Amino acid sequence: MNEEHFLEFDEYLQGEMNAGDKLAFEQRLKEEPELEMAFETYRELRQHLENKFGHADERKAFKENLKKISKEHHKKHKSKVIKFKPWYYAAAASVAVLFGLLFFNYNQDPVFEDYNHPEQAFFTERGTVDTTLKQAETAYNARKYSEAIPLFETILKTDRSAEIQYFYGVSLLEVNRFTDAEAIFNALKSGNSIYKNKAIWSLALSKLKQKDYKSCKELLLTIPEDYEGNDQVDALLDELD
Amino acid sequence: MNRISHHPDQVYIDGLANNDSEVIHAIYKKFVPKVVGYIKNNSGDEDKAQDVVQEVLILLFDQAKAKKLQLTCPFDAYFFLLCKRKWLNELKKYSNKGVTIDKELTSIDGSVDEMVLQSEHFDEKQQLYDMMFQKLGEKCQELLKLSFTLPSMEEVAEKLMVTYGYVRKKKSLCIGQLTQWIQENNRFKSIKNT
Repeated sequence: MNEEHFLEFDEYLQGEMNAGDKLAFEQRLKEEPELEMAFETYRELRQHLENKFGHADERKAFKENLKKISKEHHKKHKSKVIKFKPWYYAAAASVAVLFGLLFFNYNQDPVFEDYNHPEQAFFTERGTVDTTLKQAETAYNARKYSEAIPLFETILKTDRSAEIQYFYGVSLLEVNRFTDAEAIFNALKSGNSIYKNKAIWSLALSKLKQKDYKSCKELLLTIPEDYEGNDQVDALLDELD
Repeated sequence: MNRISHHPDQVYIDGLANNDSEVIHAIYKKFVPKVVGYIKNNSGDEDKAQDVVQEVLILLFDQAKAKKLQLTCPFDAYFFLLCKRKWLNELKKYSNKGVTIDKELTSIDGSVDEMVLQSEHFDEKQQLYDMMFQKLGEKCQELLKLSFTLPSMEEVAEKLMVTYGYVRKKKSLCIGQLTQWIQENNRFKSIKNT
């Protein structure tokens, strides 16, 4: 296609051809498939541009309106999740009172057991066949810490990763080997792995378990706000005060 | 255009084209929750779902404005399938694992499939045209923009301080350039597909 063709297309689409030229042009479109294809593309592009620029303001208004409406429904949707019916409050309150009466322990100090929620370990990925690692994972997740400890020790000979050290430390803490556990957590605390804050939290728990509330509190205060288990940290701090 | 053969749900399409808030609210209330639920169940979240919904609604607006959207099936099924497929495509784009998503349409109703394919085809074309437009020189871009915004070519000439003859000629040559690129692109595609 050359310039002449495009000028012709435009003239035809603008309705500026005289009847004779128009008929001749239409005849040529029927006979020359190449010309017809180019003409169809040209016409579509022209329509597209006309649509795009001709409705630009309306399109902008539509998008803004859409955003606004979407936000409103979005919010509604979110608030629905936390909507709490008053009778649920009543029910929840009576359950809380009941539990309080049944289990209230007259000890004002927080206890390790309330905060002891060791997370599940997932060392082995599908396909790997490291038996020791698998055994350690199974023992740890089953809370058989005295079984898990020697397994972790074997693994640590070859794999000194922060992850293994952390779970080893937690196991030591669970069986009250405080000095060993704290050595591990202190090492992680001065490192830069993702287990850094978890290690500080575990150190604090270790102090709590030994009823050293002062050290526990000091450690808790060094945990940054964005730590994922921060509600636990805040809850324990509240209790310590 | 035979208005009588339209599906009664064409009101949603017309409402979108007219930026009718009431209709948009109705769509959000009736049809969007299902889409959000689907996306959330398929590795997405509320925000991503809202993005997909907005993209699809803008596509429907564009297609309706181009007078190329005559609904022949229920809006519900059509809208859901469009969103679903858009989301699956998105997942595919961002996953390195090469998740295989079958492109096959799965709805039972043939007219829904057909409508969805039409819209997707329109979407692809629009994106291609916009991409090619960005490749044009600044002068062509400006002239075309003015040609389709100002009411007459005389005003375009005045605005650009050139003659009427020049803008008329330039306009068709700029669209001509786009035409050539699109045709080359289509030829390239058909070679690739064989």
